[in-house]
Amino acid sequence: MTGLARLVEALLFLAPDPVGVDELADALQAGEEDVREALGELRHALGGRGVVLRELAGGWALASHPDAEEGARRLLARPRTPSLTPAQAETLSIVAYLQPVSRPEVARIRGVASESATAALTDRGLIEESGRSQFGAILYRTTPLFLTLFGLNTVDDLPDPVGWDPSPEDEAALRERLLRAGDERAQRTT
Amino acid sequence: MTSPPVSPGGPPPAAGSAPRLDRLELDLDVFAGPFDLLLSLILREELDLLEVELADVVVAYLDHLQAREELDLEAATEFLVLIAALLELKSRLMLPGEELPELDELAPAEAAEELLERMLQYARFRGAGGWLAERHESEQGHLYRAAPLPDALRRAPLEAARAAYESALLGQALGGLLRTPPPIDVSHLTTPRVSLADRLGVLRGLLRRGAFSFDEAVEGADRVTVAVTLFALLELYKGGEAAWEQAEPFGEIMVHGAAPGPAAARAAAAVRRDAASRTVPTRRDAASRMVPTRRDAASRTVPS
Repeated sequence: MTGLARLVEALLFLAPDPVGVDELADALQAGEEDVREALGELRHALGGRGVVLRELAGGWALASHPDAEEGARRLLARPRTPSLTPAQAETLSIVAYLQPVSRPEVARIRGVASESATAALTDRGLIEESGRSQFGAILYRTTPLFLTLFGLNTVDDLPDPVGWDPSPEDEAALRERLLRAGDERAQRTT
Repeated sequence: MTSPPVSPGGPPPAAGSAPRLDRLELDLDVFAGPFDLLLSLILREELDLLEVELADVVVAYLDHLQAREELDLEAATEFLVLIAALLELKSRLMLPGEELPELDELAPAEAAEELLERMLQYARFRGAGGWLAERHESEQGHLYRAAPLPDALRRAPLEAARAAYESALLGQALGGLLRTPPPIDVSHLTTPRVSLADRLGVLRGLLRRGAFSFDEAVEGADRVTVAVTLFALLELYKGGEAAWEQAEPFGEIMVHGAAPGPAAARAAAAVRRDAASRTVPTRRDAASRMVPTRRDAASRTVPS
């Protein structure tokens, strides 16, 4: 490894949070392009090692290899965080894609009040308040911890949600059934 | 998440056959919310909520809980929310015309489109939620440095930190908050008042000349006077001294004298006596009165 790559490795080893390229360049008195090159070199050099280089939350960080997870959790007495409940996952996805977004908006999309899911996600540090809407409702956005825990660099790295839309055939079938249900109800009520 | 496949299939259930709950596969982990359930029900042509015995759903769930032998508070809460939503939905279905107000104003086709739009949007985020939940699982394999930065490398080591404020200053600030400040003397302020007795007098004067409209009685008056006059009018009506009518909302209110019966006359006399015998309360008096009684009302003055 070049000298710069070794220095980058040392800094990332010490840093408690992901470090941006600009911060690394500043600390090492080097050009950002050189730092980027050094990061590439470091990533390559870490192939097959117990530590991996990851780009997330707008910066770079060293992480333990997934193979080491079991042992690491025993060593640090740190159990896995519980999985997201379906309600939390839905709420989180709405906040992640539409942020900043208010709770009433989340409730409108989910069709159910989302107080407990929002509170749980706030407690988990995945979302946080970010001001108020023009109607005074609290707005929510995702936190840097969200990016770290989900291995994302920015929220723009989230996959295009259009991919989860039902197919046109399913949509047509759904529309037809809704219309039929509406007609039946209209007949009943008249 | 193993939500039911979004693909219609199978023949519709025979007409008249109530959907059986065991076919609902009441796996509650599957349903993330009422829309989810609604979506699934529609896709299985089991939409007719009217025929679903929600009590059975509750019983099935209790059995399900018992089988699991542990109370998952999160899931139980979700279930409560879900069943409450279903109950509301069902009660709306049972009451014609008590439908979603926003959907109610639309034609059935538009309502279906609106609902479809919402369901599609919901499906999108449900899918994204599933992806996030999986990602959350798979990303847990990586662990990051959790130890704080070594002291020597910190910009401001804890040992080097010095108290920037005197603790006595904090005590002083807190002490100031704990003392009740002296009441502010407002005796030099004059408060214009409108008394009920005055307005009763005005109305009675107008009544003596025959019928009049409310607008005449309050011509050029400020809001408080209008309010007190209305209150006075109510008093007169109560006492049987006056009757009033309004042909249409926001129309003119016509007031005319009412022929009081013996009881009404007595009541009217009592009101008059009451109003006359009471003097306008002093400022301090009015300010200190918290909850006026009904008798008080006849002599209450209202600051403008």
